[in-house]
Amino acid sequence: MSSHRPRIASTTSGMLSSLLEDALDPAYAEAAARRGDAGERDDRKRSQTLSLMIGGLLVAGLLLGIAYTDTRAEAPGSERARLALLADVQRDSARTAELQERLEQLRAEVADAVDAGLVVTEEGRAQSELVQRLEAATGVLAVEGPGLVVTMSDAPPEESVDPVSGEPVEVVPEAGLVLDIDLQVVVNALWAAGAEAIAVDGRRLAPTSSIRTAGEAILVDFQPVSSPYVVEAVGNPDLLVPRFAGSETAGRYDAYRQLYGIGFDLARAEQMSLAAATDYDLRYAENTATPTAGPTK
Amino acid sequence: MIPAFALALGIVLGLILDPTVPLWLQPYLPIAVVAALDSVFGGVRARLDGIFEAKVFVVSFVSNVLVAALIVFLGDQLGVGAQLSTAVVVVLGIRIFGNAAAIRRHVFRA
Repeated sequence: MSSHRPRIASTTSGMLSSLLEDALDPAYAEAAARRGDAGERDDRKRSQTLSLMIGGLLVAGLLLGIAYTDTRAEAPGSERARLALLADVQRDSARTAELQERLEQLRAEVADAVDAGLVVTEEGRAQSELVQRLEAATGVLAVEGPGLVVTMSDAPPEESVDPVSGEPVEVVPEAGLVLDIDLQVVVNALWAAGAEAIAVDGRRLAPTSSIRTAGEAILVDFQPVSSPYVVEAVGNPDLLVPRFAGSETAGRYDAYRQLYGIGFDLARAEQMSLAAATDYDLRYAENTATPTAGPTK
Repeated sequence: MIPAFALALGIVLGLILDPTVPLWLQPYLPIAVVAALDSVFGGVRARLDGIFEAKVFVVSFVSNVLVAALIVFLGDQLGVGAQLSTAVVVVLGIRIFGNAAAIRRHVFRA
């Protein structure tokens, strides 16, 4: 084995060294040698040389120019595709919202019908109250009431330069981005502070709701939300506001606001209305009682 | 001097005319640019060495661009287009560096 090594090494180094040393096309040397034999050139050949050279360089320059404009044009092309996709997403989101509204309306009708059927008897009235309380807690019903509004937003963008087009663009510094974990922590702190119902950017949270990142977007129950993130929590404001404001979480994000410039504002609200949650399906649990109200399967 | 003007004119024309490059040709554009740069630097060096020959320049220019594009095309068909593009860029890049170094020695005598 070892006897082969030097040969392999010399072959490779020979290839590399010839690549490094013979940078000039050997054809030039050969042509020069031929020309040396043939002697001086006449005028006709000289003008032919010049025109060949001009033609070649013109094409080379054209290639450079085209490559430059093409590279510049490509970025807006991908931007156009992105905008088209964005329009699709927005249209479908609007349709989803529309259907969501209809769903809520129908659900309210069902709840009303159930209530109307139940309030006839004393036992039924008790059941109806229980159902309503559970529905509020699980996000099935829209709720309204006073509470706390926490607004979080990305830090203001900084001036930067696009590497391809050289045009100025605005980029949010990475440390100033609000992440899914930030929203999760704030929402959990709000629950801990006694919130009875929470919505993030208008999306009501149910017990099985998720706040996650997909790519650069934050999804709440698979629906995208964007900065500024408005977290609305309904609960007794006299308890909720001081408890949350005094929590470790609020203190931490206050520090982040000063350090990284992210937005973090608390506001007491006297009247808020939160829509019903979209995703509250039971996945494993089955309802054993006879069906009484709309929300269970 | 006139050839330098021709090069500059070509660049300006490319910028002004802003031709649309067909989609299938786009992967070969960067490779063609590197091959063209290699030929131009080779030509300048040959000129400084005193052995420039216009015919060699034009033939090497055209064949360089075509062969480089052909290699990348073959690579695309075989599914290794990106790797072969890298190979072409590395080889031509080394040659450009070599010729640029020779030109530098001619111009600055260092």
